[in-house]
Amino acid sequence: MRITFHLPSALRQFAGGQSSVQVETSGATLADALSALWTLYPGVRDRMATEQGQMREHINVFIGDENVRHTGGLRSRLTPGAEVTILPAVSGG
Amino acid sequence: MIGEVLGHCRIVAKIGEGGMGSVYRAHDEVLRRDVAVKVVNKSVGLDAAASSDLLAEARASSALSHPNICTVHEVGESGGELYIVMELIEGKTLHDLITGTGLPADAVLRYGLQIASALGRAHDRGIVHRDLKSANVLVTPDGLVKVLDFGLAKNLGATVFQGSTRSFATPGETHGVSGTLPYMAPEIFHGEPGDYRTDLWALGVVLYEAASGHLPFEGRTGFEISSAILRELPKPLGPPVPPGLWAVIQRCLVKEPAQRYQTAGEVQAALSAVQSGAILAASQSAERPIPRTTFLHNVRHVKVKKGDFLLLVGTTKGAFILRSDMHRSRWEIGGPYFHGESVYALAYDDRAGRHRIWASTSSYWGTMLRSSDDFGKSWMTPQEATIRFPADTGLSLNNIWQITLGPEDEPDVLYCGVEPAALFESRDDGETWSLVRGLFDHPHRPRWMAGNGGLALHTILLDPEDRQRMYVAISAGGVYRTEDGGATWTAQNRGIRSVATPNKYPEFGQCIHKVAMHPGRPERLFLQSHWGLYRSDDRAETWMDVANGVPSDFGFPLIMHPRNPDCVYIVPVESDQFRCTCDGRLRVYRTRNAGASWEPLMRGLPQKDAYETVLRDALVTDRLSPVGIYVGTRSGQLFVSRDEGKSWQKIMEGLPPVLCIRNTLQQDASAGGSNPVPELPRSTAHSKSSGTRGTKSSNSPSTKRARSSKRSRASKSRGKS
Repeated sequence: MRITFHLPSALRQFAGGQSSVQVETSGATLADALSALWTLYPGVRDRMATEQGQMREHINVFIGDENVRHTGGLRSRLTPGAEVTILPAVSGG
Repeated sequence: MIGEVLGHCRIVAKIGEGGMGSVYRAHDEVLRRDVAVKVVNKSVGLDAAASSDLLAEARASSALSHPNICTVHEVGESGGELYIVMELIEGKTLHDLITGTGLPADAVLRYGLQIASALGRAHDRGIVHRDLKSANVLVTPDGLVKVLDFGLAKNLGATVFQGSTRSFATPGETHGVSGTLPYMAPEIFHGEPGDYRTDLWALGVVLYEAASGHLPFEGRTGFEISSAILRELPKPLGPPVPPGLWAVIQRCLVKEPAQRYQTAGEVQAALSAVQSGAILAASQSAERPIPRTTFLHNVRHVKVKKGDFLLLVGTTKGAFILRSDMHRSRWEIGGPYFHGESVYALAYDDRAGRHRIWASTSSYWGTMLRSSDDFGKSWMTPQEATIRFPADTGLSLNNIWQITLGPEDEPDVLYCGVEPAALFESRDDGETWSLVRGLFDHPHRPRWMAGNGGLALHTILLDPEDRQRMYVAISAGGVYRTEDGGATWTAQNRGIRSVATPNKYPEFGQCIHKVAMHPGRPERLFLQSHWGLYRSDDRAETWMDVANGVPSDFGFPLIMHPRNPDCVYIVPVESDQFRCTCDGRLRVYRTRNAGASWEPLMRGLPQKDAYETVLRDALVTDRLSPVGIYVGTRSGQLFVSRDEGKSWQKIMEGLPPVLCIRNTLQQDASAGGSNPVPELPRSTAHSKSSGTRGTKSSNSPSTKRARSSKRSRASKSRGKS
């Protein structure tokens, strides 16, 4: 199925300058779709996740309007055509 | 036995038999549920005391409530027989599930994570399993793991494990040994009682067995097995076992308990990382187009020419490059580079004809090491992070606190000190980095504690006279020294007071803020601690207090005069609670007699209502003559002294909080006036090559070699302003 990722400005430089990227994935979870995105753009992977595969603390991922922290994290289910938005949290000094 | 009643359980059918007795399906007639009842064989020959111990331990285990631990409902004695009533689990033992060549890696990881989680809970409650093995792990049809028989082994002791599980006992030992031979840890054979780490060894054996289908230590006799456990290394597991999983198994199976994982939680984290890594690994691909992007906005660049003096300033919101000449009186400001990112470490590499700036940048998108060969006009930004903790550590990089150049004649060697505290080394000009395992595996490491700024390795000192010797300082861990190029490290903190531990002079654990070594006299070091100012004249063997006449011995930065080994500069702050300059006066203190006395340097520095803090890398000297001193504050002021500290001028104010300062002279042979003082044994401040080059790409002959094909391939992108 096809999934659309919307990238924040800080990540666009690692995705050829694109603000949204469509990936094709055969899996049904966010992890599967991210894997497809990260294969295309490994620079995006290392900004989103630590070397141990944990999502960085101040990065939020939304499927539609729902923050995946509340829907099972990387195991969250995706439906065909889902829109996934990556945003930094409102934090910092 | 069938039809008998034990407690309020009626025995229905026999479902298994093991070394310690038989297991029956039974029905609890009060609570009306099916249960399993384990009846301990009379032949086991428990005496009254042992029976009582077993009952006590089983009761303690019954308090363990965890989804991966088989719940013990009841323990009792009936007609001289001990019995344990427990949760009835439909499933197979892991031992039975493991087929010829082992289970798929994802199954091994799933089961391993659950076993580690169970061990973690038990260890937290002070219960050691002591007989973990694949036959004690049940797997339900849903893939849920249940670990059986927690804590029972200890009391059943050597006499119990007969028959299907081979026994091992040391004659004459009163306590005997418990466990099942192929899963026993080496320390048990040395007569030690074993602890949590004994279970982690056994977990390693179970993981090995599950991943490969055979045990790591095998033999035809008990003697052969025990010899293998004590002396042999397990045969390496290659594909399809993922390297990360093999690394975790290896760390469980280290002979010396102190070098193993220290908690089940660490194993769990490492396995979890390997599991996540499967996603990461799946997304690793080799060649792809390099994204070329613009990421610097509204940045002013300084145009550098021969004879220019540069000050590199890292702040919490980006880096700046300030240009002057050898007079250091007029400054042009370039930057900010890395908008909004913290730059904790900068370095200028002039070895082998380079003129490269290294910077560590940190934001919520992670910490990256970047470099520029054209004074900031363009930066190499790695696509994939180059400094990364290996999967088996379970750790992730939080920050890079220090970038240190290797020896002059090893121009491709670099070091980084990072948080969580560890040392990384590159031998290929920053292309790839590896964790210095000798320090990482130090038995003290689990007991280092994070300070206010995190658990950071922030200082790296190389002895210019002996390339095998190096020092690092850790907050809060202490000073460590290697004499063999990083293979082994010793704590070097004799005489350094600790305020955070009951023992005021511990072997390690001091919160060191900065250490400096004199390059011309490397046996001499000065040290600013979290309370305490010290000198060592014997390569950190012993430290003596030199806080003679300072307003406070609390502070962060400490630097040495580049030529005079008796001359040191510090910036004391009032106290741990009030980390601001004493009495609202910004004063740099200097000793010119190796700490026998200190004098305040204040002319030109704010002396009223100046509640400033100077962080550990925000005080530096240059190597010109007379020596220049630079100080940056948390309030964003930057000062210079061009006369070794006598008088000061403000270079600028309004910077974000200053984290670090470095400097370099773009040496010009024709420049008259000041002497750039080339007689120093190690130069990190002078460039030996010309200033500016092309602005678009790195293609000068001097850097072409360094920027190898590897560097320009897909793993890096080039950002231009």
